[in-house]
Amino acid sequence: MDQTEIFEKVVKILTPYVKNQKALEGISLATHILDDLKVNSARLVDVVLEFEDAFDIEIDDDDVDKVETVGNAVELIEAKIG
Amino acid sequence: MAFRSIAPLSAGARRRLVLQREFSRLLSPLAVPLIGIALRWVFGYRIECLRDFRREYRRICLERDGPVMICANHLTMIDSVVIAWALGSPWWYFRHFRTLPWNIPERSIFAATPYMRFLIYALKCLPVERGGNRAEVNEVLAQLTHAVFNCEVALIFPEAGRSRTGRVDPDTAASGVGRIYRSIPDCRVVCVYLRGDHQDDYSDMPARGERFRGSVSVAELKTDYRGLRASRDIARQIAQRLAEMEQEYFDDRE
Repeated sequence: MDQTEIFEKVVKILTPYVKNQKALEGISLATHILDDLKVNSARLVDVVLEFEDAFDIEIDDDDVDKVETVGNAVELIEAKIG
Repeated sequence: MAFRSIAPLSAGARRRLVLQREFSRLLSPLAVPLIGIALRWVFGYRIECLRDFRREYRRICLERDGPVMICANHLTMIDSVVIAWALGSPWWYFRHFRTLPWNIPERSIFAATPYMRFLIYALKCLPVERGGNRAEVNEVLAQLTHAVFNCEVALIFPEAGRSRTGRVDPDTAASGVGRIYRSIPDCRVVCVYLRGDHQDDYSDMPARGERFRGSVSVAELKTDYRGLRASRDIARQIAQRLAEMEQEYFDDRE
């Protein structure tokens, strides 16, 4: 799976949690999940758990702290997929 | 269940925590009774079965040494103060200062002025900006975890905010509480459900003259999940216990 495919899947997972729908129009790897997309910080864990299911990977508690931007999520998933 | 550490606490942060604890201990013989007097005689609050509340908390604290985390429902901005008042007398907290719970109030509300900052500092509070800078939030959670690990008691609201529906919803439990629990071996979770008779949904303050009822119980927690799912599962189990206590509260009132 290449980075573009992972990115598209990540955006699809994020979409229901996004409060700032306008930010979705220009979403990129640099988009901040909490600050730009306004995803509730308490719901970030649910998002990451959906990543686990969608990509069949296991993400550790500590790894969640590293996910700030969409790019961070994509990189993390890429690393886990191997 | 494997135990996971939250972020390691720096030596400076550990020193600040000890300093705050000792400062708070120094002021507590004055601050704790004054708060009790204000709640009882200025605001007119009463706790139904106050003795039972305090007896149960005493029993839990004295039963054995070890980390204790209090998890409670959250409906007003002063819940943590009312809960601390309900659980122990000034004399109890004087003799067992570690059982006066640490709190993590919202910084923008409770640390808005120098006076407020001083007050919450003296009352074992670690202000946090919910949804704020992750590193700062993690530092505060690490301080709280460190305190509990060292057998101080902490009070946490699993819903991470006042319930907008007025009811405990296990699905809204933030996994942070599960993560803290999982990082502290042998931690006991004391669930406290407390609610004013006139508290239909959330508010800033309970009604003047409010009478509170509720219950205290130790939650039995176990999960077969790992990682994030384990944290979320534990958080939901705690919130589920609170939801059951809420149901008992309403059943008793009927």
